[in-house]
Amino acid sequence: MNESIVIADLLPILAPIIVIQLIIMTIALVLCAKAESTRGPKWVWVLIIIFINIFGPIAFFIAGRRNEG
Amino acid sequence: MKGAANTSNKLDPTSFMTSSFIRYLVMVQKELLEQARSYKLLWVPLVFVLLGIMQPVSTYYMPVILEHAGSLPEGTVIDIPMPLGAEVLAQTLQQFGTLGMLVLVLACMGTVSGERLSGVSAIILVKPISASAYISSKWTSMLLLAWGSLAAGYLASWYYTGLLIGETPIVQAYESMLVYGLWLSAVMTITLLFSTWLRSSAAAAFAALGGALMLTLLASLFPKQLGWTPGALSGFAYQLAAAGTPDSSTLSAAVVVTIVCMLGSISLAALQLRKSLAAE
Repeated sequence: MNESIVIADLLPILAPIIVIQLIIMTIALVLCAKAESTRGPKWVWVLIIIFINIFGPIAFFIAGRRNEG
Repeated sequence: MKGAANTSNKLDPTSFMTSSFIRYLVMVQKELLEQARSYKLLWVPLVFVLLGIMQPVSTYYMPVILEHAGSLPEGTVIDIPMPLGAEVLAQTLQQFGTLGMLVLVLACMGTVSGERLSGVSAIILVKPISASAYISSKWTSMLLLAWGSLAAGYLASWYYTGLLIGETPIVQAYESMLVYGLWLSAVMTITLLFSTWLRSSAAAAFAALGGALMLTLLASLFPKQLGWTPGALSGFAYQLAAAGTPDSSTLSAAVVVTIVCMLGSISLAALQLRKSLAAE
């Protein structure tokens, strides 16, 4: 009972955080899908991007693509 | 765009200054286009905004988080005094100093070394573009990225801090942002220098982060003797954000020294690039 009130209070404040995380994740997934070759198997990168919060997509942006730019 | 550089050269062959400035602008455009194409222009500011929002939100909900963590014995009274808005802003800057700087350095580590490895820089530098224009255009685009990300993240943090914890005068936040931006610029310049010097981008990132760490460590260990070094800037920025008034003469000395060091580093990078091109 107490917890549900807390979550309802949290939602409007946490919404921007979740939205930004989703945007970053989506960009990373699209780039991963479009990339001709990634460093390492593509499905591993997809799992990393989806399941490792924030750091997964960042790792992909920095190290995942073979020919950057 | 290469065409534009050539035509401007033909139209205006007498005034060398103008044409070299136009070449520089064209190169800056190329760098920004590359940042946009690799989505750096989008994700780096987003990461900064996320870091900026996280700090006030996690501070605000710390008591709730602790309550629900479940590892505390029953009946524990949690009494954490809510910090001032200014203190939260200073903590945000510290976040930018660790994770934010890591992201920026990693995103920019391959600017020169990566292009040299892939041969792009050789193609560009065959054209009438000097090594200094090449380096300074990269430097400009890196700084634009760093300042843009910092401003976006800090603004988000300031807004959320005002909403959740307490209003802070924006002038105070603005001043600390300027000082902190200068420190980030210095780190970006070191990254560019090492990226030109060392052939590996990973080595450049390590050297730049290590160098930045050493500078801040030295300045915090010997604040009296080394307060004028670039490493002291981040400390000054935290002080400014947390409503402290740092020693203004030391601060201005640090600002001047940092700007001189940055200009020296760019010149050194351009020189190094020219030398290694001649050697090849």
